[in-house]
Amino acid sequence: MTGWISEFMNHPATYLKIGWLQISVSNLLVILLMLATFALAVFLPFPKGHDDTQEPRT
Amino acid sequence: MSISKESKHAFDAAPWSGKTKRYDIVKEGTIALAVVAIFALFLSLLMGSPDETPLTFKGWAVSNPDNFYATTVQELAGTSGTATYGAPYNKGAEGLNVGPLWPQKWMGVTHPIDSVNDFVISPLSTQVMSTEIASAVATWKAAPDTQKQDWATAYDDAITKVEGKISDVPAGAYGPVPALAQGLTDMAKGGALDAALLSQGGFFQTDNTKQILFFGDGSYLDDAGTAANLQGGTWGMMNETGRYPGQAWLWLYSFWYQIPPFNNEESKPIGANADLYIMVLMGVMSAGLIFIPFIPGVKNLPMRIPIHRGIWRQYYDENGIKRRKK
Repeated sequence: MTGWISEFMNHPATYLKIGWLQISVSNLLVILLMLATFALAVFLPFPKGHDDTQEPRT
Repeated sequence: MSISKESKHAFDAAPWSGKTKRYDIVKEGTIALAVVAIFALFLSLLMGSPDETPLTFKGWAVSNPDNFYATTVQELAGTSGTATYGAPYNKGAEGLNVGPLWPQKWMGVTHPIDSVNDFVISPLSTQVMSTEIASAVATWKAAPDTQKQDWATAYDDAITKVEGKISDVPAGAYGPVPALAQGLTDMAKGGALDAALLSQGGFFQTDNTKQILFFGDGSYLDDAGTAANLQGGTWGMMNETGRYPGQAWLWLYSFWYQIPPFNNEESKPIGANADLYIMVLMGVMSAGLIFIPFIPGVKNLPMRIPIHRGIWRQYYDENGIKRRKK
């Protein structure tokens, strides 16, 4: 695979280092995306308007 | 209206009494699989895959011939990492332990590797040897084991004293060891050692254990790992070469290697056996995750951190249960 994106990806990564904690920017982005997806799953309302819902059981 | 904590918990524990909806888990799973497959295909086409230059014995012997040479001598002297590893490759050490647990030793030698013959003598014997190398191999094979050990150990010690600079090693009673090491270095420089090590297992060979172990005994693989931020002591378990994201889900496994006493190999017993201690620790923690519903205190965490009331907030609102104390 060639192309500028592939070339960009195969260059040495940037690492963030705070004391003993070290993480690549790529990994940090993936973790933030996962957290954002989780937050969306919690906070987005369930879709409404489907006609296949059933009333509460009594 | 204020509802007591007990009532809220009782409501949480009661069967769902809100609206229900038909749910086809196979349909849902198929849609999820298709979305992920399209996403993975798109990203693969866009970004390609990690494309590092392969590590080869030729590359090692050409870029750092002294280190390759010194490592060969260590293989002959039995002082290399492989020769002193223990099970499953040999009986060079008893292996890691946690208290009375010695799993490495108990499993035994299941993948025998003789660093002298597998890494040095056999590869040299696969090629057409010069008179000098053929004579060195013959001398080595004919000598008693104690004599071989004396030659190789003396040369290994001499190389260590001059800090690996081969040209500075004083003359001594090293027998055929210098010729063998030079022969293997020349063989590696020509590219023949890569093929010779790979061909030891059969026609369709996929077992690269010997190559990896030999690489690991010198500085070539170690330096490449450091350059790519793949060392265990710098969260390398989570990383990938280049700018590709790595195994972020291994953060907890990797975390232990960053802190004392796990990050100090000299610290006994934990640091010296860190791999096994961390494996056991993660095993216990994984079991804890599986058995959350049965662990007192932990099993009540969803009541203390009621994320579920946020997800199904409409249901809770309709039933007069507030999600947060005001």
